[in-house]
Amino acid sequence: MPKPFNELRERLLWAGVAPRHVKRYLKELTDHLTDLRAEEERAGRTRQDAEAAALARLGSVDDLTNAMIRRRQFQSWSVRAPWATFGILPMALLAWAYFIACFILWSGWRMFLPGADTPFGSGVGPIPIHSRENIYFQTGRLIYFTAPILVGWGIGLIAVRQRLKAAWPTVGLVLIAWMGATAEIRASRTSVPGGFGHIRMNFFNLAISGQSISGSLLHALVIFTLALLPYVIWRLRRAYFVSA
Amino acid sequence: MTSRETNPNFMNGVPELLILRLLNEKEMYGYELVQAIRERTDAVVAVGEGVVYPVLHGLESDGALKSRRKTVNGRSRIYYSVTARGSRRLADLSETWTNLAGAIHRMLMGGQSAEAV
Repeated sequence: MPKPFNELRERLLWAGVAPRHVKRYLKELTDHLTDLRAEEERAGRTRQDAEAAALARLGSVDDLTNAMIRRRQFQSWSVRAPWATFGILPMALLAWAYFIACFILWSGWRMFLPGADTPFGSGVGPIPIHSRENIYFQTGRLIYFTAPILVGWGIGLIAVRQRLKAAWPTVGLVLIAWMGATAEIRASRTSVPGGFGHIRMNFFNLAISGQSISGSLLHALVIFTLALLPYVIWRLRRAYFVSA
Repeated sequence: MTSRETNPNFMNGVPELLILRLLNEKEMYGYELVQAIRERTDAVVAVGEGVVYPVLHGLESDGALKSRRKTVNGRSRIYYSVTARGSRRLADLSETWTNLAGAIHRMLMGGQSAEAV
């Protein structure tokens, strides 16, 4: 990609233009520049002069940037509605992941532990590590424990791709960390003879059973720190390349 | 990148009109379209050629244009063409600009009354 387009790309992303629109714009500008350069070379200019003339005909970085950012339809959703992108969407994704984990727990309880009072293994003998049952339940556990980190990384990735300032991504990460640290699963068997047990989840209550408030806060801090890592690494890399 | 003098009025609805008019005749890609604008207007409409793409993308997003990728002479290009909605928009824009141009022309020629547009 020609060097002026690197500046253009950064300016468009910082202005909130969605990365897919930026990518397409730069692709078409690059093609256009190639055509202009060939035209100027056919007119007898040297390659260097042809390049300069082609860039001048294409327009200044200011013109090319302004032409794109004045159209609101090209702005990314994270700029148009950050409360949805970093508030509602991550929490909905995390809730969906927890729903899947709960479904695995509930269906595993029905399939593999039909006589047990809870699906957490109490009252039944040890389950072999390579057994189907164990793999099934561990898949649910994996989803349950990694979901907040993965959703947090998703927030960081969006922030990095779209060159966003830290405020809204931080709000999203705090919400995810809080939701992840206070998530609590309860399972209870129905009083109906032969009936199936049910599972429910609670969120956002710091004083969850079996864990102190300071324990919940520590858990939230761990999730927040792990989820923040990719964003911090990108900021450090960027600071390094700018200063180099 | 050096700057170049452009026509500031170009962005006030004229690019849509010119683009829709040209693409209504045949599908074109960006470079081809800009050269056609330059030839048809005798280079009166001066514009940084790259700013045509946000206009094209905006019209496509509004449903006035559609695009397809086509490989010609080993190069992949995005060709644009007008949709039915784009044809209606072209008719509206043409009428507006014809009325406007007529009114301005009459004023410049010293006419006593100009129709409201």
